[in-house]
Amino acid sequence: MSFEHCVRCTVCVENCPVFKVEPLFPGPKQAGPDAQRFRLDGEKSVDQWVRLCSQCKRCEVSCPNDVEVSEIILNAQLKYSREHLSPFSSHLFANTYYISGLGSLAAPVFNRVSSWGISKGVMSLLGIATSLPFPSFRFLTLQRGWKRRGRGARKVVFFHGCFLNFNRPDIGRGIRDLLASLGVQVIIPKQSCCGLPALGNGDLDMARKYAQQNAATLARYIDKGHDVVYACTSCGLTLVRDYPGVLDITLGEKISENTYNVHEYLLSLIENGYTELAPAQVNMTIAYHIPCHLRALGIGYPAARILERIPGLTCHLMEDNCCGLSGSYGFKKKNQGISRKLGQLASSAIREREVEAIVSDCGACRMQLSHYTGLPAFDPSELIVESMKKP
Amino acid sequence: MTPLTYDVVVIGGGMAGFTSALYLTGQGYKVAIISKGDPVCCLSTGCIDVLSSDKNPLDGIPGLSRDHPYHLVGKKGITDALNFFKRIMQDTPIPYSGTPRKNRTILTPIGTAKTTCLVPMTMAGSETESDTYIHVISFKGLKDFFPSYITSGRRNIRFSLYDAGTSSTIGIATLFEDKSFRREFISWIQNLELPHGKVAFPAVLGIRNPLKILTEISDQIGREIFEIPTLPPSIPGLRLFRTLKSSFIKSGGDNYWGKVIASVESQGDQIEAVTLKSPGRPSRVPGKAFILSTGSFVSGGLYATRNTVKETVFDLPVFVPGTRKDWFKEDFFQAGHAIETAGIKVDSSFRPVNTRFGNLFVSGSILSHAEIMKNHCGHGLAIATGFRAAKICEEFLS
Repeated sequence: MSFEHCVRCTVCVENCPVFKVEPLFPGPKQAGPDAQRFRLDGEKSVDQWVRLCSQCKRCEVSCPNDVEVSEIILNAQLKYSREHLSPFSSHLFANTYYISGLGSLAAPVFNRVSSWGISKGVMSLLGIATSLPFPSFRFLTLQRGWKRRGRGARKVVFFHGCFLNFNRPDIGRGIRDLLASLGVQVIIPKQSCCGLPALGNGDLDMARKYAQQNAATLARYIDKGHDVVYACTSCGLTLVRDYPGVLDITLGEKISENTYNVHEYLLSLIENGYTELAPAQVNMTIAYHIPCHLRALGIGYPAARILERIPGLTCHLMEDNCCGLSGSYGFKKKNQGISRKLGQLASSAIREREVEAIVSDCGACRMQLSHYTGLPAFDPSELIVESMKKP
Repeated sequence: MTPLTYDVVVIGGGMAGFTSALYLTGQGYKVAIISKGDPVCCLSTGCIDVLSSDKNPLDGIPGLSRDHPYHLVGKKGITDALNFFKRIMQDTPIPYSGTPRKNRTILTPIGTAKTTCLVPMTMAGSETESDTYIHVISFKGLKDFFPSYITSGRRNIRFSLYDAGTSSTIGIATLFEDKSFRREFISWIQNLELPHGKVAFPAVLGIRNPLKILTEISDQIGREIFEIPTLPPSIPGLRLFRTLKSSFIKSGGDNYWGKVIASVESQGDQIEAVTLKSPGRPSRVPGKAFILSTGSFVSGGLYATRNTVKETVFDLPVFVPGTRKDWFKEDFFQAGHAIETAGIKVDSSFRPVNTRFGNLFVSGSILSHAEIMKNHCGHGLAIATGFRAAKICEEFLS
C-alpha cells in the first residue's frame, strides 16, 4: 500500500527500535509516509536523518494498514545516497562480499591484524565502529568444501550467504549434512552476496548486479526441480522480497516462489511424512531471539517449532527487541551509540530469563547479543544437529 | 511428528483475538493467530472499559439496544470473561486492578475524569474526586501532554518538569528501563521536596516492568504514585499488547504477523485453510475451526465503499444501517452515528448468520450493534465476546 493509506495511528512509532533511543530520528511515520509527499522528483533530498533507519522492518510488520513503511524509507535512503556523496565506510560495507573474500584468503593474518590496537585506530578513522569484535574469517569456507551431498527424491540448492561461507562455515556444513542425512540432495553452487549490504549502503546498482548473478544461478537449478533454501534470514528476506521487489530482477518472482527458510523446509519434510526427526535429549535453557528479518518474512517461527520437539530443551522466545546491529549498520561509527543502547536493552531482557545460551537465526544478532550478555550464541540448526547426533 | 493442522486459527490479533487464543491454548489446543499488524489496543489507554453509563457496568446492559452483543454473553458470561482476563494478567508484569462489578474513574491528560472498569495496577491510585494534593511530574517537551491542562481545572494540583533529553513517550519509557537514569531521576524528585499527597506521571514508567519501576520510585520518594494515560503512541496500550502476545507465545501458540489473507479454502460448510499473501509463494495455514476477530473499520475488518460495507476476509454478509445518507449524524461530536452499528450479525453460538460456514466464529468489535464509541465498551466487549466465542469453539472441537 502506498503512503496515502497511512492513517497516522503511530503503531509503527511504538515499534521502531531506532526511535526508542535516538531523538534525531523522527520515527517511521514521519520518515516514511509523512515525509514522502515532500520527496519530489528533481528536488534534492534534505532528510539526512533518513539514513538513521536500520531497515529492521518492524514498522512494516506492525502496520495495521499494510503500508510499506520501510520500503518507502529504503527508497528515500537510496534517493539520498544517489544525490549525496556516501561516506567511505558505506562503500566498504557495500563491498562486504569482496572484503570477506580477501579476509578469508588471508584469514590467519587478517584475524590477527584486525584485533590490533593500531588497526582499530585505522578503522575508527574510516568511520568503522570498533567496540564490537570484528567477526573472524575462515580459510576453509563453505565454498571450499563438499558442494554436493546426499541422495534422494528431494533436491535443494543451498543459498548460504556471506556470513556462513566466510565466517561460520561450520554451521553451513552442519546444515548441509543434516539435510543430506534426511534424504535430501544438497547442492552448493557458486554464489555472490545476496545484495543486501549494498542495498543497505545505498548502492542499488551493485545490489542489482549481485542479485542478477544469483538469480541466474538459482533459476537454473529451480528449472531442474530444486528448491532454494537459505539459513540467514536477512539473505532470505532479500531473495524472497527484494529480488522481485525493489531490485526488480527479471527472474525475481521465480526465485521468490521457490525459496524456503531451512527450518520451514525441514518442517515441511517432516509434516509431509518424507522424513522423521527423532531428536535426542539436550538439557539446556535458551533464549530464542527472533531476528527482525525473520519476523518480516511472516512465515511464523519454524525453528521454534522444531526446537520445541527437542526433549530437555527449554526455550524462551524473545521477539520484542531488535538486537541493534542490523548487519553493517552497527559497525558504522555514526550508529555506534544507537546500536549499543539497543544491544543492551535486548540483552537485559534476555538476562532476566536466566538462560544458559542464546539461539538466533541471524549471525549479526548472535554476534551482538553474545557480546552484550557474555553468553554463547548458536544458530538453531546447531542445536538441531547436536540433538540428532546418536548418543 | 504429525502434519500440523491447527485446532483453531484466530484471524485478528487484538483484544478479542488474544482472549480467544489464550483461553484455547490454556485448554491445550494448538492455536495460530494471523494478524495484519498490531491492534488498536496499542493506541488505547490500557484500561478495560466495560460500559460507562452506571456505577456497576453490568447494570447498564438492559439499557443497551436489543441487538447488542453483550446480550448474547449475559452478565455472568461477561463477569467470567473479565475475571479470566484478570487471572491471565495476574502472572505478568502488568497485573490489573478492579472488579467487573464496579466502574471507577481515572485522571486524563486534560484533567477530566474518565470512567472505566479494570485498570493497570500502575493507574490504581489515580484520583479524580478527592481533594488530595497531587503533584504531576512531566517531561520537558513531551508531545501531547500539557500538565497545565490538568492543573488549570483543579485546585490542589501542581506540576514540575524533568528534562529527560528526549521528548517522546517511547523514548522516555525506554530511558526508564535504565537503572542509572532512574537513580538520577529519583534524586531529582527528592530534591523537589514535594508536599504530602500523591505523585502522578504520564504513563511512561518503562515498557517491560512498569509496576516494578513504579514501586521502586514510590518507595524511594515516599509518595503514592499513579500513571496518567497519554495520547498515542500509548505506552500502557503497547504494554498490554506485548504482554498478551508474549503470554500467547509462551502458551505454545504460533503467530503469523504482518500478513494479509489472500484466499480461503473451504469444502462444503467447512473452512479448511486460509492462505497468506506473501511475496512469491502464498503460505497456507490450515485449521479445524476459525475465529474472526479482525475488528471494525479502523482495524480493517470492515471496509466501507461508497454505498455499502464489506467484510474483508470471508466476504461475510454485513449489517449496514440504511443507505449512506443514514450513516452519519450532522454533528460529528454527537454520540451514536448509525454507521457504528454496522458489522457482522451472529446467532447465539457466535456463528455469522446467513453464511454456509459451520466452523467459523466471530468476536470483538466487528460484531454488529456494538456501538463502541457510544457505549464505551471496546475492550470489555472484545474480552467478553472473545471468551464466549472461544468456549463455543471448544465445544465444537470436542
